[in-house]
Amino acid sequence: MKKVLEGSHAVSEAVKLARVRVVSAYPITPQTHIVEAISEACAEGSLDARFICVESEHSAMAAAIGASSGGVRTFTATSSQGLAYMHELLHWASGARLPIVMAEVNRALAPGWNIWMDQTDSLAQRDTGWIQLYCEDGQEVLDTTLMAFRLAEEVNLPVMVVLDAFFLSHTWEPVDVPDRESADRFLPAFFPRVVVDTANPCNMGQMSPPGVYMEMRHSVQMAMQMAGECLNETEDAFYRVFNRKYGRIEQHLCEDAEIVLVAAGTAVGVCREVVSGLREEGEKVGLLKIRLFRPFPSKIVSEVLKRARKVAVIDRNCSFGVGGIFAQEIKAALFNSDHRPGVYSYIAGLGGRDITPDTVREIYRITRNTEKPEPESVWIGLRPDE
Amino acid sequence: MKPFDIPQNDYMYSGHVGCPGCGAAIAMKFALKALGEKTIIVMPACCWGVMSGSHPQTALKVPILHTAFASGAAAASGLRAALDMRGDTETTVMTWAGDGGTFDIGFQALSGAVERNEDFIYACYDNEAYMNTGVQRSSATPAGARTTTTPGKDWKRTRKKNIVEALAAHRITYAATASIAFPEDMILKFKKAKSLKGGSRFIHIFASCPTGWRMPSEMSVKIARLAVRTNLFPLYEVEEGVRYTLNYTGDRPVKDYLKLQGRFAHLTDQDMDAIQKMVDEDWKQLQKKI
Amino acid sequence: MARIERLIGRGLYQQALECLLVENPFPAVCGRVCYHPCENSCNRAGLDCAVAINGIERFLGDEALHGRIQPTVFRFPPRGKKIAVVGAGPAGLSAAYFLSLLGYGCDVFESRPEPGGVLRWGIPSYRLPEDVPAWEIRRIQSMGVQIHCNASVSADFLEDLCRSYSGVFIGAGHGKSLTMNIPGEPFALDGLDFLAGVKQGELPDVKGPVWVIGGGNTAVDVARTLARSGLGVTIAYRRTRSDMPAFEQEIEPAMAEGVRIMELVSPVRIEKQGGSYRLVLQKMKSTGEKVRGRMGAIPDGTDVFSITAGQVFTAIGAGPADLWIPPLPGDARQIPLSHCTAVVHEIPLVYGGDLTNSRKSIPDAVASGKQAAMVLDLLFTEGKHDIPEKLKAFHVGAGPSLSMEMYIGGERKERSRRVVSYGDINTDYFPPRPRVLKSSEENTAGEDVAVDEARRCFNCGICNDCDNCRVFCPEVAVVKEDGSARRIDMDYCKGCGICVVECPRCAMDLEEEPV
Repeated sequence: MKKVLEGSHAVSEAVKLARVRVVSAYPITPQTHIVEAISEACAEGSLDARFICVESEHSAMAAAIGASSGGVRTFTATSSQGLAYMHELLHWASGARLPIVMAEVNRALAPGWNIWMDQTDSLAQRDTGWIQLYCEDGQEVLDTTLMAFRLAEEVNLPVMVVLDAFFLSHTWEPVDVPDRESADRFLPAFFPRVVVDTANPCNMGQMSPPGVYMEMRHSVQMAMQMAGECLNETEDAFYRVFNRKYGRIEQHLCEDAEIVLVAAGTAVGVCREVVSGLREEGEKVGLLKIRLFRPFPSKIVSEVLKRARKVAVIDRNCSFGVGGIFAQEIKAALFNSDHRPGVYSYIAGLGGRDITPDTVREIYRITRNTEKPEPESVWIGLRPDE
Repeated sequence: MKPFDIPQNDYMYSGHVGCPGCGAAIAMKFALKALGEKTIIVMPACCWGVMSGSHPQTALKVPILHTAFASGAAAASGLRAALDMRGDTETTVMTWAGDGGTFDIGFQALSGAVERNEDFIYACYDNEAYMNTGVQRSSATPAGARTTTTPGKDWKRTRKKNIVEALAAHRITYAATASIAFPEDMILKFKKAKSLKGGSRFIHIFASCPTGWRMPSEMSVKIARLAVRTNLFPLYEVEEGVRYTLNYTGDRPVKDYLKLQGRFAHLTDQDMDAIQKMVDEDWKQLQKKI
Repeated sequence: MARIERLIGRGLYQQALECLLVENPFPAVCGRVCYHPCENSCNRAGLDCAVAINGIERFLGDEALHGRIQPTVFRFPPRGKKIAVVGAGPAGLSAAYFLSLLGYGCDVFESRPEPGGVLRWGIPSYRLPEDVPAWEIRRIQSMGVQIHCNASVSADFLEDLCRSYSGVFIGAGHGKSLTMNIPGEPFALDGLDFLAGVKQGELPDVKGPVWVIGGGNTAVDVARTLARSGLGVTIAYRRTRSDMPAFEQEIEPAMAEGVRIMELVSPVRIEKQGGSYRLVLQKMKSTGEKVRGRMGAIPDGTDVFSITAGQVFTAIGAGPADLWIPPLPGDARQIPLSHCTAVVHEIPLVYGGDLTNSRKSIPDAVASGKQAAMVLDLLFTEGKHDIPEKLKAFHVGAGPSLSMEMYIGGERKERSRRVVSYGDINTDYFPPRPRVLKSSEENTAGEDVAVDEARRCFNCGICNDCDNCRVFCPEVAVVKEDGSARRIDMDYCKGCGICVVECPRCAMDLEEEPV
């Protein structure tokens, strides 16, 4: 049924449909609407779950780890500082192979205090062993959250569903909310593979000396390598029920494109508009949307991009000392391919600054008019006096 | 002493890697005797984290869920929620943490969980410093003690944090102190804690550490008993943060306790008198609440 | 002792008495007349007050005497050797008893008409009723010991014995009273004869005031016997009260019964004075030097004084009859030991009891009989070499005491030989608690009191199943399988020693593992 929903509520609706059993969360703007809605659902009984109002994000993830180890479907949500505070336990959740799902609202990190859109918080957690999925709109948020549970439980890795602060979290859009029966058909009840159990007492997460640790890490990597394929299967299953799919990436007019723009999150929507406009103007431009960031779908990304002459990557983040993080990943993906287009790295829209069609057009113009990429990421839209 | 009141079953295996004379091992043995096999232990980083065995071994006959240092109480909250949601209200969830994971890095999570009145037992086996990492001071290290981070003339001058009073201030369902030298008392307290389902329960266990306290291993229990007998570590219970019960009244000067341990060897008579004064003061404070 | 107390504490009287009977054939007797040096060594004295071992022993002995328990006395099978025992006093009977326990046949030869020696003839009935030693002697007889009364042993007879027996124990005792060598000595009555007469029901017509010369147990027994019949009695002793050889436990009740003691006086002569006597005494003074443990005394100037006595008794000690004086030291065939002297001729002869004991007492007599039995057995089984060395293996405690149980390879043999001192006791486990059993000559303690008193025992060095070792072991390495004793799983023991310290009674020890 179509409803006009805030992006945050697209998350909470999916959590309800997923029949999550334990939610632990600590409030942080702009994640609050998600947890408020879940809290209310628990209170009114539309969600039969225990909502643990922990005293910190560190504890939120710890409690999620405890709950997931206890063998129930577990969810949490956070943003920015909160995600950074969770960092230690993000490693723990993946190392323990727990299928926790977390909504992460992309927000800038302090200082100075900034509650607006920025991807650095989630991308800084790229090495924690979490699957990361970036969403473009409200529908995708709902669908991705629902899929995240099935994917996580399939590969026994935690999944982070990432949505832009305000541009998505606080924006109301029409969203097709699945009925419960269909949702149940897509996402069956959770049967944990390993659970802490007095009938089978195990020592979980214990001391692991050099003789065993490396194999444990390797198993996480193997699971990650499987996750891309598993996402495809999950999407197929989802498609069979809901007739919608998104893919690990989405190519838009890339077939014959000489220049391909690359973006993730709500910026994709702007790029889509600009690309359509430029096409009408006769430019051979395409768009690659990155939905799955971890595991990074290097193979299909390079398949798509190797046909282009130039690739322009728009990063709403910065890994200081290197530059745009998506750009690094794409360069790495292309490095071993037969044909390597020039990768132009742009940093734009940090800390909630808008990425307008003009911003994208400027990025396209610079890319088209520059023979070779700059050695460093190019910052777009800086105030002239800075 | 009525030794046969102590349950015969042990839920701890021989062969853990604790130091000889480890008080924490004795504490675990007693706790599990009281709690039985329907217990899951949540274990933040601590000596027991190592003692419980390297992959793929275990030193306990009950499941252990290890967790990060600061998160003992939070992980237990989540686990409890999961068990409840699965309809398992029988299993006891117990966080088993050292003093560092309780008084220091885990205090926020503990305070949060107790404020939420999470239905679990939090047991802190207190060996009064970061022993696992090589005897660094914690906020549970008592005044007068030398550690590797309060060395030489900079031995710890400040008091030990009074964790039970801090938790009593949360109006916790049940808080108690226990000592490895008083097995019946400890086992009764764990049994009581187990029976008080529905709220948070905290047991602060005095667990001597021959390695860190620089004393002979065979003195482990004797020293723990002296801590109680000198009123330095009173045995008492607090229900709902207000109803106090004193379980033992000491009769010995604190010197008797201090003199047996290398970590206090540098103390002059004057220093020991000052510590005696602190102990007397705390004892008086406690008695006012009984 | 600790094990016996432990068994009593659990109400296992029969086992307790069986343990005791391996070490002492006379519990009911000793429970009454022993001066219980054991209580002086009791570690409990360090905390509050020694356990009333003597009273408990009496309780146990009487349980059997009254037929409430029927202990079985351990015995080796017969070895086909017979020993002759001269004298049926406590030493001779003990020797016969222990020899019989070790499998030897025994014939005891006693010159008097009934067996018992000092038990029968020397100790007044108010301290030791006749039926008590009689009953315990019957128990010895029931083990096959033959007692031949009215059988004086002459020198010729002794030679006969040496021909027809494999060994001889001589426990003829000190039955010959010493004399004072003063004028008028025949006017005085002999204390030992008097006591023997009383035991036969002959109470001579004695007039007061009575003066008893001497300071030993006989003097005190004579004084008490007379005081109890209503006479005024004074003991005249040449040294001070603290030097009196009589046991303090006997002097005290004597004083309570009105017996006076005049210290530092020595008899000079006795004169007949109408119906009474004039006893002339010399004032003495201390020399300030100790001779054989006692302060020397010499006449204090020339002052003498006299008192009037209704009757004078002498009890200045006794010695052996000439035949029984043990050979002098220096004889190569002699083996001098703490409680007896063995002489190896064609067959071994062992002198014991008062003949060799420096302290003339019932427990020393029993110890002598026990030591003699072990010495004879060792001589027969292992020859005459290194006997004192071999005996050391059966020592218990810090003194010369020997354990028959260890000798026969009983449970005790398995135990640590460490002598537990008060400092070894973990007093954390023992709140002070005064003695429950208060001794009285008249009454044996009741069961409740005896058991309660036995529970005061620390059980030094004896596991009483308190389970502390298992409770506190941080390694779960003290194991107890169903029905079996605790053992230490050496694969897992880290040697921390907590079990040793937390053993309240020091029944455990930590030793280096042999390399």
